[in-house]
Amino acid sequence: MPDSVSAKKAAEEQPSLRRSVTPWGSFSWGYSDVGADIFVGLGLVLGAAAGASNVAFLFAGLVYVCVGLAYTELAAAYPVAGGGQYFVLRGLGDIFGFIAGWAVLLDFTIDIVLFAWSCIDYLSKLLPFLAFTAHPWTHFGVVFAVIAGLAWLNVIGVRESSAFNEIVSGLDIASETAILFFGFLFAFRPEILIHTMQSAWPTPFNLMNGVSLAIISFVGLESISQAAQETQRPASVIPRTSISLILTILIFALSYSNLALGLQPWTPIPPDAHGHAQALWHYLGNEDNNGAAVQVLASMIPYYGALAALYVPVLGAILLLISSNSGVFGSSRIAYAMSHTQLLPSLFKKVHPKFRTPAVSIVVFCSFAILELFFAALPSLSPFFKETYARLFRGEDGITFLGDLYAFGAATSYSFVFIALIALRLNDPESPRKFKMPFNIPFKYRGVRVEFPIVAVIGFAGIFSILIFTMLTHLIGRIAGPSWIILGLIAYLVYRKRKGLPVFGSQKHDWRSQQAQILKNAGELELMDEYIANVKASDRLRSGEPAP
Amino acid sequence: MSLEIQPHLVGVLIALAILAATAATMYWMLHPPTTTAERAARETERDVEDIIGSVIVVFSAEIHSEHMMALAVRLAQRERAELLAAYVIEVPLTLPPDAVMEVEQRHALDVLATAEAIARQKSIEIRTETIKARQVAQGVLDLAKRRDAHLIVLGAYHEGKYSGAPLGRAIETIATSALCDVLIGVQGNRGKILTPYQHKPPKKTPDPEITY
Repeated sequence: MPDSVSAKKAAEEQPSLRRSVTPWGSFSWGYSDVGADIFVGLGLVLGAAAGASNVAFLFAGLVYVCVGLAYTELAAAYPVAGGGQYFVLRGLGDIFGFIAGWAVLLDFTIDIVLFAWSCIDYLSKLLPFLAFTAHPWTHFGVVFAVIAGLAWLNVIGVRESSAFNEIVSGLDIASETAILFFGFLFAFRPEILIHTMQSAWPTPFNLMNGVSLAIISFVGLESISQAAQETQRPASVIPRTSISLILTILIFALSYSNLALGLQPWTPIPPDAHGHAQALWHYLGNEDNNGAAVQVLASMIPYYGALAALYVPVLGAILLLISSNSGVFGSSRIAYAMSHTQLLPSLFKKVHPKFRTPAVSIVVFCSFAILELFFAALPSLSPFFKETYARLFRGEDGITFLGDLYAFGAATSYSFVFIALIALRLNDPESPRKFKMPFNIPFKYRGVRVEFPIVAVIGFAGIFSILIFTMLTHLIGRIAGPSWIILGLIAYLVYRKRKGLPVFGSQKHDWRSQQAQILKNAGELELMDEYIANVKASDRLRSGEPAP
Repeated sequence: MSLEIQPHLVGVLIALAILAATAATMYWMLHPPTTTAERAARETERDVEDIIGSVIVVFSAEIHSEHMMALAVRLAQRERAELLAAYVIEVPLTLPPDAVMEVEQRHALDVLATAEAIARQKSIEIRTETIKARQVAQGVLDLAKRRDAHLIVLGAYHEGKYSGAPLGRAIETIATSALCDVLIGVQGNRGKILTPYQHKPPKKTPDPEITY
């Protein structure tokens, strides 16, 4: 009976995600992730690239603009949850989809530790007993407790509300704009900037190191595309929110780095451990302050600094905690999505019977995060490991190690996203792209007019060079990053072989029906009509039929 | 170290540029292009804002509009409309038009008192009126014209299976002849205009073959 069939089909249909994310919600979803990066990245880059930190941020920022434009185009064209991993799966097939997703998972686990670590660093500016250098065991214990606590909250299904995210993002944008406005207005001296750049220009090695760390200030934009399935009118809203996020973060990163190099401090800078006077960039980039550089910089601004010193640690800590939580949530969500497409075992889509959350994924990836925490904290906890790290890894500190891996994961997944974008431009020209990366070369491919994206090639070259910089300049990152990918790939191949699935190839997907369904579910009915018309037209063109 | 602030022109210009760029970015982001559906929704919303100025809720011996009254009160509360509850007494042709009909008038007072109470619960001002007419429909149409109503709200009743106007002749006449919008609440299958939401599915009708 047709009625019973349709009723059965309806009963089998999964409930879809509610489209409740507004433009501001979509922006703050991304901002709460990427906005926290500058709180961590500024100190690390100043410590590595010294007087060329602004150049490092500029280079990474230009690459980030290309990455952002690629994500904007893809998220508007394919508004589904999954982000980069989905785009690569669709554009390049299962195995590359796995590698991209696995690299993103590495980033998410690092995200959990790095931001929890930095959150405590910011709080330590108000509560000195949490300071990393003075009390490493307390710092380690509290970061451990934060990660365990976030894992527990995510297992029982408690998350910060969207409204809370939106309020914190709004407050942070206002706060950062105020810091930069008053900083440049009251205390910026161009001659100090020029002098610092001339006197503290780094070696090429350190500049590459700085660039590879600067990219971590821009990681997280993909959160917008991961929320695409819940965004109202994604094809129209996502291009706006993505581009706004790109611009906002770029403005902040470039302004902070230039301010840090050209600020006339309002309060005296304490001497270094040897009693020597030190420049502001050096003070911000040392081990004591590199985890909380924005707060230290803000406190040096005349008048406004007194207020900023009080609230920036709290606001920064909240934003970093949200970002750390987005790592817990994001890793479990990506693993869940990868499990559904049989890129990961079905274990990762197991839902807790009581709390209805992907508890296994949460526990597994939080355990990875805790392992990374151990690895990062060991040199500060034991003199033996400090000596070993100094001998084997040029004495990289814990937070720099986390930054390396973060940059490695991001550069790997972004590289694949650029290639996937080019592949999708060639293989799926029918999907309407409400936003397209600029500068394209039109030509005919398999009888259909396609556009080759020049910016994607530039972006790929940029992000790939950052990946190379990361491998060249970071000894731990060089070993740990590729090891993560290789071990994951071996597990993937074994799993696919055991399940009788194509090992190196891809499963069959009906992308056309899926795309029409995606646009229908997104409420983009005009785009769905356009897509169906495009598909018919390109089929006609390929078969040589005349137009009706 | 000097504690005097000496802003540098370059710093001032960069500070202003940061402020302007951030504000412009936020403004641009929060004003995305609208879709056809959104434009249509906005136009409808504008039309509705224009029409909801004065609302008449109609009661009579056969028309029970208490649920619709409660809805109209909520509407009036949000849209700041003027609300009038009117009870129409149908005077038979055998009686003079201004005949005293004590039972009906008493009933009208009860109904209008309930309507007032509903409005009072939401702190909405309401006027009430009892009118006499030869036919309910004509009485309502005259009242709407006289009061320059923008919306007539009334509950429906079923007149009978073989009637040409299953929702009631009065309602059919009002709906087809009114010069303003008419909102009719049709009774649900449980005999009420608004039935409470049920989580359980409705009972399955038994098969004719096994019905005794």
